Amino acid sequence: MSKNRVSRRQFLSYTLTGVGGFMAAGMLMPMVRFAIDPVLQAKAGGNYIPTPQKVADITEVPTRVDFTFEQQDAWYNSEETGTAWVYKDDKGEIVALSPVCKHLGCVVNWEGDKTKPEHFYCPCHGGLYTKDGTNVPGTPPIAPLDVYPYIEKDGYLHLGKAEPKKGA
Amino acid sequence: MKWISQDIDMYIKSKEYVDTAVLPLFPVSLGDDIKQTAAMSEFISLLSIQLERQFRGRLVMLPGFSYLKSFTEDKLVNDIKLWEKELLSKGFKHVFYLTSDSSWKTIESQFEGGLIWLPSLPLEHMDEQYKNTILDDQVKQLLQLFLQKWQSGE
Repeated sequence: MSKNRVSRRQFLSYTLTGVGGFMAAGMLMPMVRFAIDPVLQAKAGGNYIPTPQKVADITEVPTRVDFTFEQQDAWYNSEETGTAWVYKDDKGEIVALSPVCKHLGCVVNWEGDKTKPEHFYCPCHGGLYTKDGTNVPGTPPIAPLDVYPYIEKDGYLHLGKAEPKKGA
Repeated sequence: MKWISQDIDMYIKSKEYVDTAVLPLFPVSLGDDIKQTAAMSEFISLLSIQLERQFRGRLVMLPGFSYLKSFTEDKLVNDIKLWEKELLSKGFKHVFYLTSDSSWKTIESQFEGGLIWLPSLPLEHMDEQYKNTILDDQVKQLLQLFLQKWQSGE
């Protein structure tokens, strides 16, 4: 038996403070989390997806680059494939265009029609885009091809989420 | 366009641009060739996804037509003819059937639509990357076939 004995009053007050503290923490924690939620949220938009394309190998001719990424549909993760047409423009800057036609969403091909060289061609309804992705007037598409933002990492091209072309 | 409400909305809005229907044919058997028919169905359904992605603006990918391998040829011909009649009367100019089951080859000539028969590939042992490349190649070859058909119909 120790000398400083704990009185019944002291024992009860310690216990109650302890238990009350836990309960208060249990209630406050989620509230604080809700309040500062935007800070805790994982950034989905800033993700760049690696592609198998080496930056050094990009030429002036648009080449098709396929890449895979994980797509999350609610709780279901699936492997999705994406495609980009990648080339270097006159100034030596990399351009990565989305292959999805702005008309009804078919996949466009570089020089897909032999009679229309130096153009992206949509096989569905004959949509045409120039090399920089601008739609040719008189063909069905009404907007230029989307552009992927990109970064270079370890010599490989990483692509972000395709965005509508600026200044269009 | 896939057979989902979102894509069908798009179809209703831009009907004049969509003149092609694709019907995948899925064989089902519970006998000795159960695995074979499953592999065929798997291959065709994966291929139809890729094909839809390439041509989504001009074709409607219908939900597959499943049939028992034990059905007689006459029954299959009649069923498909009913589909064909309905599709052609509802404004589709081109109808394609997509299958791995070679028994359709013998009755192909009785249909107005084109039958695309591709031997199924053993996809079960392939990794994802390789699988996609192979399917992409197949779709690229089909691209020519579709273009020819569309050009001849114009």
